[in-house]
Amino acid sequence: MSQSRAWIDRVVEGAARALAQRTSRRSALARLGAALVGSAALPLLPVARAVAEDARPSVPDDSTLEGAVGDPTSCAYWRHCAIDGFLCACCGGSQNACPPGTEMSPVTWIGTCRHPGDGRDYIISYNDCCGQSLCMRCRCTRNEGEKPVYFTSRNNDLLWCFGTKSRAVHCSVAVVLGVATRS
Amino acid sequence: MTRPPTALAAAAVLGLAAGGARAMSGPPLDYTLACAGCHRADGAGTPGSIPPLAGSVARYLAVPGGREFLVRVPGVAQAPLDNAALAAVLNWMLARFDPGHVPAGFAPYDAAEVGRLRHEPLTDVARVRRRLRRALHRARFFP
Repeated sequence: MSQSRAWIDRVVEGAARALAQRTSRRSALARLGAALVGSAALPLLPVARAVAEDARPSVPDDSTLEGAVGDPTSCAYWRHCAIDGFLCACCGGSQNACPPGTEMSPVTWIGTCRHPGDGRDYIISYNDCCGQSLCMRCRCTRNEGEKPVYFTSRNNDLLWCFGTKSRAVHCSVAVVLGVATRS
Repeated sequence: MTRPPTALAAAAVLGLAAGGARAMSGPPLDYTLACAGCHRADGAGTPGSIPPLAGSVARYLAVPGGREFLVRVPGVAQAPLDNAALAAVLNWMLARFDPGHVPAGFAPYDAAEVGRLRHEPLTDVARVRRRLRRALHRARFFP
């Protein structure tokens, strides 16, 4: 047993000494650094980004906004330009997340709102949170850009709890999906 | 010309540092605004109420009437897009959600074809869909 350990020790020691003679510590550090940076950059390459295409993007900074346009509990909040419902930020959730005990509908009402800070048009998804009765706090009906009810895909008077266990609407979130750029 | 990897990585890092949300334009933007609310970003749909596109939509191209059906269905024909944009979204959807079933030699939709077909409304969508599904089943395109 001790002999076999000595044999392994000799092999490892020999390999380590050979490596030390061939390379400098600085080059080893440089290669390690390159490997670390390279692996960090991999998720940014187009191949990986195509896979992560549906991930939620980062969102504009609301801390630069003053007053109600920067307040998710206000109907005047910039993301609420086409909303029709109770604001989840007043109902135990947030502008991005449903309150506990409710389920976010995968079927959603999508539009764009202009951010008053950077002037860009962001794509907003107004998902309903489903599974409890109406929240009744912070009712907000802005519906900018809405079409009459016979144009169903552009009308907001429908309830959007499809694909959820319950059809009962509780409140609505306003999630940023991306930024619209007309080419 | 190949860009050095460091420059590429730096550009990507800067893009993230600027806090920019994912920029969309053209067919992906039109799909997001006009279709994705129901069909979802990944084309999965909702079983029982909203048909899936992913792995499914291009199968209709394999049977007579299927190519026309994809334009005449209410969600496509009535989409708030002009004929050229609608044709571009249709071609993009086929390539994005169901490339494996696009037939060899498929001629992309163009504005003229889409403009003609979207003015021929389907008065009984479910019946036409059932007929196409039976034809696809016979051709073993659907289980």
